Amino acid sequence: MNGAKRDSDRGIYRVVARREFVERFKDRGFRISTGITLTILVGFLVLSSLAGGRARYDLVVVGEDAVEVGTQLERGSATLAFDVTVQELDDEASAERALRDGDADAVLIGGDRIVVKSDGPADLLGAVQSVSERLRAHQVLEEAGVSSDQADEALDVAPLPVRALEPIDERRQQLAAVAFVGVLALYGQLFAYGYWVAAGVVEEKSSRVVEVLLSAIRPSQLLRGKILGIGLLGLCQLLLIGMIGFGTALGVGRLDFPGGALGAIGVVLLWFLFGYAFYASLFAVAGSIVSRQEDLQATMTPLSLVIIASFFLGIQAVGNPDSTLATVSSLMPWSAPLSMPSRIMLGQASIWFALLSAVISVAATAALIPVATRVYANAVLRPGKVKLRDALARR
Amino acid sequence: MLDLIDLTRRFGDVVALDDVSFSVPGGEMVGFVGPNGAGKTTAMRIVLGVLQADSGEVRWRGKPVDVAVRRRFGYMPEERGLYPKMRVLDQLAYLGRLHGLDAGDARARSLRTIEILGVADRVNDRTETLSLGNQQRVQLAAALAHEPEVLVLDEPFSGLDPVGVDTLAGVLREQAAAGVPVVFSSHQLELVERLCESVVMINAGRIVAAGRISDLRASDARRLVRVEVAGQAPDWTRLAGVTVVERLASGAVLELSDGTVPNDVLDLARAAGEVRWFGVVQPSLPDIFRRVVTR
Repeated sequence: MNGAKRDSDRGIYRVVARREFVERFKDRGFRISTGITLTILVGFLVLSSLAGGRARYDLVVVGEDAVEVGTQLERGSATLAFDVTVQELDDEASAERALRDGDADAVLIGGDRIVVKSDGPADLLGAVQSVSERLRAHQVLEEAGVSSDQADEALDVAPLPVRALEPIDERRQQLAAVAFVGVLALYGQLFAYGYWVAAGVVEEKSSRVVEVLLSAIRPSQLLRGKILGIGLLGLCQLLLIGMIGFGTALGVGRLDFPGGALGAIGVVLLWFLFGYAFYASLFAVAGSIVSRQEDLQATMTPLSLVIIASFFLGIQAVGNPDSTLATVSSLMPWSAPLSMPSRIMLGQASIWFALLSAVISVAATAALIPVATRVYANAVLRPGKVKLRDALARR
Repeated sequence: MLDLIDLTRRFGDVVALDDVSFSVPGGEMVGFVGPNGAGKTTAMRIVLGVLQADSGEVRWRGKPVDVAVRRRFGYMPEERGLYPKMRVLDQLAYLGRLHGLDAGDARARSLRTIEILGVADRVNDRTETLSLGNQQRVQLAAALAHEPEVLVLDEPFSGLDPVGVDTLAGVLREQAAAGVPVVFSSHQLELVERLCESVVMINAGRIVAAGRISDLRASDARRLVRVEVAGQAPDWTRLAGVTVVERLASGAVLELSDGTVPNDVLDLARAAGEVRWFGVVQPSLPDIFRRVVTR
């Protein structure tokens, strides 16, 4: 009797965390939703890489002059922003058929007519026009007695240089896109995993298993383990999504700044931790004061509103990372997880500022957890709906 | 020895427990009985630390019970509670770990316990797919698997079929025989009478009787007669000095006051019809219970 080894209860929250992690990981719904997320992500990246490459056009030429234009166009294709394939057909009728069937984007008839289906691609037409103009100008010059070489010289004029007052920063654009995806991912992840904490608390309360659990361990151990286990799963899922997204983007050549993207993933993971830690104990409180899943939506509403508002602040911070609103919202512990990462990625926050935001988040969380634990401990064993005020009071 | 000492607990204006004290010696099985709302569950929850007492304390082996000690207790709450979606063995092993077993021990002991309780073929099924009776066996396994030093069971027999009752009774007897103090609440007083040497009776938050059932019987000075008659039973109250303690299907248990003798009852019974059963009896546990509760 009682020969069993019993370890001290100090690490018991790890046993709780393990169950939370393993049971949810084994859940088919979780695997399926993770799979769907990854499929959408990979599919989106692959498709956008296909769509985002150089445009390809098919030009059909009919007649000798047209063939000449086509040849010149192909010869100069290196300077063009698109690829063009030139095909020669014998007569206008078959060329028009090719247009109608979608096999050609434009048809050049002889040296004098362009035929399109309804509205040909402007860049292709522009290129055909300018080649044709040059050929015709060359012809006019030669007819006027200018030698071929002189005509070439006269027609070879360099295009005017363009100076942009606000040049497009490609790196910044790409980072803003990454930041936007990061805000989206953080928002979804905070919401989903916060909800899981609340629903997990309700499950234990409604199934009454909480009484069995709390006859063996303290409420604080149960809560800590639950938050830790679910949070760890959220972090792993985010890491997996980040890594697969990164690998795919790199593989399909959509990533020009892999270092920056890796840094961005790291920042997102870090602020997921801050945000989740801040919100998780509040979600646990929302769960502990009801005893049915149906009632959970109502008690979660205030929390949901705060997260949704923070999400919009986060979107705003991607667009105007240096605004006062973005600065303030990146410091507040409830909105920082959705505002701070994009400001860091876009280079609008110094390391000290980021550190300050992190310290505020950690301090707020540290202050919140004892209060939340007390409410949780008081409410979770009471049957039915518990008023928050009663739960805050003694016992 | 598990001691409950001067436990008092109020819920608002309601006094759920009023200075409740009793002890459960190691190796003994004690029945904890009382009407609904008498305070049985409150007292048990306080023993397990799920609820705090306003005053008083619980001691095990003479020392106040804290979380570390309670981990070695086994508890079955009145409102059964298990994770509906967890598989039976995973669930029991997890609870075993919360009670301080290491992973290997927790699994092995859970498996052994579930075998004894006869649900071994369902170990890999989700708990919610089991019948209520089988879920109850799993619940019991959860209280037993970590080989507790103390067993506190709230209405463990309710909802069990006769075979289940026998299995559970056997398991509890073994636990007590191994030296574990076992206390369980029940409304099935005949069962308590059959299983326990001692009982604690509680009513409206106060202990109204406690001790060995044989002592309680002996201290009950009432003279009782049990009589059964075929056909129409007579109106016993026609006899002066007779009170009906309990009505039976074809007879009654009667209390005789001074000056009345059993023969008076027998005469009346014979006049009414064929006497099937007649005897002077000791008060049963339900008799004692009714008396102390209505007193």
